[in-house]
Amino acid sequence: MNRNRLSFKIIVRVLLFCFILGGSIFTIYYLFARKTIERESRENAIHLAESAVYKIEEIINPAEMIPNNLAWIMETNTLSRDSIYAFLKQLVRNNESVFAGAIAFEPHMFSEEEYAFAPYAYRSGEEIRSRDLWSPAYNYFIMDWYQIPALLKKPYWSEPYYDEGGGGVLMTTYSAPFYRNINNSRVLAGIITIDISLEWLTEIVNSVKIFDTGYAFLISGNGVYVTHPNASHIMNQTIFTYAKEIDEPKIREIGRDMISGRSKFSNVDLKEIGKVWIYHTKIPSSKWSLGVVYPHREMYAGLRNLNIMIFMLSTVALVLLTIATIRIINRQIGPLSKFARAARSIAGGDFDTELSAVDENHEMKELHDSFRFMQEELTKYIADLKETTSAKEKIESELRIARGIQTDMIPHIFPPFPNLPEIGLYASLESAMEVGGDLYDFFPIDDDHLCFAIGDVSGKGVPASLFMAVTITLIRSMSDKNRSCAQIVESVNKTLTINNESNMFVTLFVGILNLRTGELQYCNAGHNPPVLLNRNQEPRMFSNTKAIPVGIFEVFDYRDETVVLDKSDQIFLYTDGVTEAEDADKNLFGEAALIKSLSENRDKSSKELTDRVKQSVKEFVNGHTQSDDITMMCITYWGKNENKIK
Amino acid sequence: MLGITILLLGWNDCRAQNEKLVFTPHWIPQAQFAGYYVALDQGFYKDEGLDVDIVHATANIASLDLLKNGEADVVSSFMLDAMEQRAKGVPLVNIGQLSQHSALMMVTKKKSGIDTPQKLHNKKLGIWSSGFEDVPLAFMQEHGIRMDLIRILQTVNLFLVDGVDALMVMYYNEYDQINNCGIDEDELNTFFFSDYNLDIPEDGIYCLEDSLNSKGDAYAGFLKATLRGWEYASQHREYALDLVIGEMDRAHLPNNRVHQRWMLEKVLEMMNPGKKKVTKGQLLKSDFDRAMEVFRMAKETQGLQTFGFEQFYQLPAGSKK
Repeated sequence: MNRNRLSFKIIVRVLLFCFILGGSIFTIYYLFARKTIERESRENAIHLAESAVYKIEEIINPAEMIPNNLAWIMETNTLSRDSIYAFLKQLVRNNESVFAGAIAFEPHMFSEEEYAFAPYAYRSGEEIRSRDLWSPAYNYFIMDWYQIPALLKKPYWSEPYYDEGGGGVLMTTYSAPFYRNINNSRVLAGIITIDISLEWLTEIVNSVKIFDTGYAFLISGNGVYVTHPNASHIMNQTIFTYAKEIDEPKIREIGRDMISGRSKFSNVDLKEIGKVWIYHTKIPSSKWSLGVVYPHREMYAGLRNLNIMIFMLSTVALVLLTIATIRIINRQIGPLSKFARAARSIAGGDFDTELSAVDENHEMKELHDSFRFMQEELTKYIADLKETTSAKEKIESELRIARGIQTDMIPHIFPPFPNLPEIGLYASLESAMEVGGDLYDFFPIDDDHLCFAIGDVSGKGVPASLFMAVTITLIRSMSDKNRSCAQIVESVNKTLTINNESNMFVTLFVGILNLRTGELQYCNAGHNPPVLLNRNQEPRMFSNTKAIPVGIFEVFDYRDETVVLDKSDQIFLYTDGVTEAEDADKNLFGEAALIKSLSENRDKSSKELTDRVKQSVKEFVNGHTQSDDITMMCITYWGKNENKIK
Repeated sequence: MLGITILLLGWNDCRAQNEKLVFTPHWIPQAQFAGYYVALDQGFYKDEGLDVDIVHATANIASLDLLKNGEADVVSSFMLDAMEQRAKGVPLVNIGQLSQHSALMMVTKKKSGIDTPQKLHNKKLGIWSSGFEDVPLAFMQEHGIRMDLIRILQTVNLFLVDGVDALMVMYYNEYDQINNCGIDEDELNTFFFSDYNLDIPEDGIYCLEDSLNSKGDAYAGFLKATLRGWEYASQHREYALDLVIGEMDRAHLPNNRVHQRWMLEKVLEMMNPGKKKVTKGQLLKSDFDRAMEVFRMAKETQGLQTFGFEQFYQLPAGSKK
């Protein structure tokens, strides 16, 4: 598909919009779903942890009661050695959760003679056995289970340990001090302990199931793993050594929070199972802490699967949307390209090009109808144009012929009179249109006289040219040696005026030069005054005429005037096309510019002079369209004896 | 008669090939004794014609007691403990000094505000029941302070629950244990005795004088193999740690590689003479003299035997070259 096509652009924009819209909706949905999962997981984690803690406390709390109650008995009664043993054995027998129990006396507390006495009852298989813990090799006074509660004067849950006597079972000892009143002061009498197997604890914690790889774990007050799915951690690692091992300081932070009894959520990277959530809470009695681990991977697995599904569906939807959009767009704006092709075809001249049909009544139909209208109008117009053109061509051809005829009517061979050395003559006529209304003519009347005329018919084009033709014909026919210039003009005037219903007129200058004497007789009927060029003087114009152009009034008294030319004087005649030549800014060439041009070129021959003036005008108009005929004629009088053509 | 002769010959023959020695390290299995495990596992003792059996001491029974009563032929011990036994008449001799420096130190919690020796005055000091009190006693004397000594077995729990203000620890052991129970190093104030002119060498190898005289070659071989074992351990630390963990597993002791790695590293550092002009395994007379000074300061010496450096430190016959 061409990238510049409208349909492509629409499709790309629509799809881009759909993509952004879909992406935004998906992002919002994803964040929301993730938040929801997190919230639910949080609630779940708290619930799991709290219920496990509750189960643990359910066992621990009654166990704690045993030494506490026993302490009360020991403080108030003095029992014999045998009855203490019996009592302890009974206690162990009666409490299933208790693996062993001991009453360890302070030095010489049980009896004056005995340094130490620590009766101890314990399970051995099905049996309950008893013995004295004390021996020089087992100085219980420096054991944690004795020393710590004794020094702190408060109960103490020992760190977990493997009891060798108990078959390597993981144990913990709860120790509580008891006192006696001696000499009215309450002194420490010893420590009562019960040993509890932690197997049940492991069971409770291991029964917490979190997905496939999530788990719960328990650490002691020192951070030692009491339960952990990785058995090698138990009792060997503390959470802090684990943090060092996997080089994750954040776990150390979690561990510190745990042993300080805080409940908290943390995010951490556990290397072997990736990123996890850990929620931990304390076990109030023992100051141990339980953690539950939620692996991100599994926590968000459902969401991830859903995302994959959504992604696949979105991809399919996008493909379908693309196909549908392409089809719809092409169907809707397809006619446009057909119209474009049709327009091209019509522009190429095929006006009968078939326009594709548009069924529905909408903008495309309007466009179609407009095209149809345009097509019909164009067809009509072109037919008209053909007709007009052929008519115009006909007229143009006729005008060409007329121009030829008109051109032939005025003399155009220079020098015109090789056998008349007295004069040098050159003339030029440039019509603004095919045919013009300017005229000039010259012809000898007899051996000594040269008649010449220049004129300008009012109006332009064919009527002016016909009037010019009549005028020039009349001048020729009216001129003879018996008539003066004024008489010629009067005759022409009279003839033209009669039946001049078109009210045309012509300015005319007729002159007869006596080649022998240089005397120039002339009559100016409303024409631009010619310029006289003398070698020794600045060019000067003939005085303005008071006579009206010919063709207006039948009777008008035209007068002759006379001037005598010196040898090598020149007369420059012209029509108003020269002085009124316009440049692009509508400035006129003007008489001053003409005089200036003539002055600069006054020693030139007639042809050269004419050409120079023509060049000055051309330079002045500077390519601006010529609006009037430009006609010039220059006559140089050399005198009778001069044998020179200038 | 012939039978007896054959029996004797056979016995002699056997004895010539494999001298049986029971070696007792002065504590439960840990990386502090990695060099011995390596020497045994690598057969360095066998190379010396020895059949060594490692029998560990416990928190209740000191290695020197086992040496004294003949249950052990050769033991490792803390030098000051050995000096005390010698002064009490046990004819033991040092045949090789492994640790050249003191790893002994005291820690207090920063929150207690105890950060100078003077502030330790009248405070409770948790200290092992098995000894090591000479140096802290000398320290107290030199600083004019007194402290309540609370005897403990081996854990740091009493310190963790604030049952004592200060605790005697080994830099290579309990110090890291405390850290591994969640107390950060910057939460502790430390008093390294080596910083208080009490850089007394610690772990050494001891046997009875008589045994040394009769089995000099065996002890020379033992020392040589042991040093070789330590050298190998320092070059192959993870392997050495494998052996340590194995020993701890056999003794059903909680074991932790991270902590044992720390211990091995620090113990190896202690064996490095550093600025002391002594070669590995030897005891410097000036160190002996300073130790004796400390011993006299800490202990009531009336009625105890006196002895000199040459009597205390005797290289086995085979080592005297």
